[in-house]
Amino acid sequence: MNLQSRLAAILCAFILVAAAAPVTITGQLLAYQDGYVFFTTGDGFRLAPNVVILDEQTKQPAKHAPEPRDYARAVFNAAGEVVEIDLSNKPYPVLPLPEAAQAFAVMASTPYPNPELAPHAPTTANGVPETFTGKLVLVKFEVQVPPTTPINAQVYIATDVSGWNPQAIEMDRIDALHFVAVRRMASGTILHYLYTRGTLQTEEVGPNGLSLKPRELIVYDTDTNSTNSVVDAWADANTNNLLSQPSVFPTPYNPAPFPNLPRGTRTPDP
Amino acid sequence: MVFGALGNARAATPATVIRLRADHIEFYYDRDLVEADGHVKVTASNGMTITGDAFSMDLKLNRFLIASHVHLRSRGGNLDGAAIADFLDFNRIYFVPVISKPDRWTYENNDFTHPLKGRQMPGDVFYFPDLSTSHVSLSAKSAVIQAKQYVRFADVRAKFFGQDVPLPSYYVYFGSSQDLEENSLSGASFDATWNATGNANSISALHVRYDEFNRDYLGFEQHFAGNQQHEYAVFSVSPFTKDDRYWNLVTGERVGSKFEINTFTQLYTDQHFLAEPNASAQTTFVTMTQAFHRSSLQVFGFQENYNLIGPSEPYSPNHPTEFTATATSYNNKVFKTPLYLQTYEGIGANHDSYGLQDYGGVLYRTIWNQDVGFTLSLPNVEIGDRNKHYDLYYLNAAVNSQRQWYSVPHHVNSQNSTISLSRQFSRFVNSYLSFNEQNTSDLYLQGGYVSSAPLLPDGTPFTPFEAFHGAASLRTTTLGTTYSASPNLVTTIALTHHQDFPPAFPGLYPQPPTNAIGQYISTNYLGQPPWQLFGEVRARIAPHLVVDLQRGYFFHYGAQVWSPSFVVQISE
Repeated sequence: MNLQSRLAAILCAFILVAAAAPVTITGQLLAYQDGYVFFTTGDGFRLAPNVVILDEQTKQPAKHAPEPRDYARAVFNAAGEVVEIDLSNKPYPVLPLPEAAQAFAVMASTPYPNPELAPHAPTTANGVPETFTGKLVLVKFEVQVPPTTPINAQVYIATDVSGWNPQAIEMDRIDALHFVAVRRMASGTILHYLYTRGTLQTEEVGPNGLSLKPRELIVYDTDTNSTNSVVDAWADANTNNLLSQPSVFPTPYNPAPFPNLPRGTRTPDP
Repeated sequence: MVFGALGNARAATPATVIRLRADHIEFYYDRDLVEADGHVKVTASNGMTITGDAFSMDLKLNRFLIASHVHLRSRGGNLDGAAIADFLDFNRIYFVPVISKPDRWTYENNDFTHPLKGRQMPGDVFYFPDLSTSHVSLSAKSAVIQAKQYVRFADVRAKFFGQDVPLPSYYVYFGSSQDLEENSLSGASFDATWNATGNANSISALHVRYDEFNRDYLGFEQHFAGNQQHEYAVFSVSPFTKDDRYWNLVTGERVGSKFEINTFTQLYTDQHFLAEPNASAQTTFVTMTQAFHRSSLQVFGFQENYNLIGPSEPYSPNHPTEFTATATSYNNKVFKTPLYLQTYEGIGANHDSYGLQDYGGVLYRTIWNQDVGFTLSLPNVEIGDRNKHYDLYYLNAAVNSQRQWYSVPHHVNSQNSTISLSRQFSRFVNSYLSFNEQNTSDLYLQGGYVSSAPLLPDGTPFTPFEAFHGAASLRTTTLGTTYSASPNLVTTIALTHHQDFPPAFPGLYPQPPTNAIGQYISTNYLGQPPWQLFGEVRARIAPHLVVDLQRGYFFHYGAQVWSPSFVVQISE
């Protein structure tokens, strides 16, 4: 037998085996009731009267009935009924219904298209698909602070995720005017945030001194996301204010330019 | 498939409130997920009641799913099904009824009487989230969820450092408005907050805190906020379990789009529980801001009573008052140059009936002042080959200059200049070299500061101080490096050199004022150690837990060798 004949024989054998293989689907269960099993695709399949429920790992009868959130494989007979359900401890990939199984899904009404559903995911301005798989994405925050920011200042990010804690994310100084922080966030995260110097009184405000609505960041499915921001002013930037801030234990008050001259220094005199 | 045409058609309906009961409810804080199993019952404010076996809600996506043996009771009647999902933002409910056989129905705009039978649904409408890598934050028996606002759990067992802590309730706000979570407590090294209860307009919270000064203590905070993000108020008392106690009230009101007023009032009491205080003081700040075209006017008021209850000794009887009005421009680009310029000018007054300053035999109880100043900045000048990111240097510079005149015959000139050069050497390493000089001169028309030599702790006069006649110059050079091995592990180190006049000497200068967590408020205080080395390691040890270790070395400046202790900051 030459090579060509051998290949033809193998192909024929494969086709025969494939033709005999039952149709199966895998996924996560939504419901098991009323003679049907439903997957999280929303599709319901009729159960055969003698359906068996097995543990996928042991191939022994499962110890509990199928429940929502269970991962399972369904095996169909030629009539499109589910004859076997294998429950798995390990997640199966949740995939769209294979074409061979689509005909087995039971639906009373005739399906018709939904004009509200866009056929393709929209893209961002630079062509990145706006899809959200939940994968962890590196997000870099870089901010330019006002030139009047004290040289010893520390800058933080307050976010809605951390209950607007004014010291939620500490940033690192990279030069006189810039700070940076890098975090991993799940794609799809919609983060609202503001920059602070660690307290409510030192939060960023707009260029007109008014409080700002929180900034918004949407984390897309790219490898990295970055945001460059400019803080126009801090809430405590009252430039001719020589007072200390709230939360300070009261100290004797005087509008003096040197806050800690040595004891015994003579006060100015004509 | 995603929503397309509907994206711009989100209906402005009243916020939906969902009441959930189940055998077991779990909350995943890091993913804003509420999951429930066993005898699930959901009652929604649109009149719909649903029972089933499993519940899943993504609070941020604002949609929920109920699956298995679903029974829907609505204006459309009673129906059984396999699953139902409510996309609250879009007013779409997707239902898999099982009557004679399964079907797919869509309800639009809460119209339960006219289901769209057979209409295609979004592909992931009935998906459960993958929780295999997530950790449960708390479990509960019931929950009230207001869409895009809050969830309030009852019969709670919260996870606290791996232990189950039973709590009667727990409130989580997940809205985007900051008003309801304005913070009136100053920073602490550790703060575990129990949001005991709340709704869309209020939160009552108990704080378990630790800081270096007060050690461990409790604080209480009550938040209020309006619906339209126009106003808020926060009241707090902390440390509630210590005799030295601060009672804070923070308020804010936005009138229209160009005016707002913010206040901060602090009452200090030294009292045992709620007994009559031994001492009490009060501070109030009021800030009013009016926005104009590319400028703003800010009026700032301050009033403080150092002693509300007497006796006058040992507490100061002073009650100073201050007001300032400052007009500030935007930070405007200077023509087509890379420079930016901001200018400001203002007037103000300080008053204390016990006197502010004795000059020439006159006790000044009120001191008026006026000031004018500008800030010129040069941000982000790139030096080097722009095609090689890691070879680029960045130059940043800024100069602030100000003069302030007083009704006491003197004026104060201040100049603050900063320049820095920085470079990103690799993805992990960044360094910068910065130089800052602050010059302050307090100049009197007649007389002024008299040459003197203050005594050192050992009683000898410090003669270098004799050259001080009201002018100080503080020069700070810093070399800093950040090594970011990963987002979860960051190391920074900074070497700082101070070359100041008047020169520093250990123990000569009093400590400058600090805030409640020990940070210096003024940047121009005298007596800083000439050499300082600060290191910090910040590590994320859990999804919501960061440990921050800091320590400083002062090169044997007087008795200072290392900073007093390690600072351990734990935050979310």
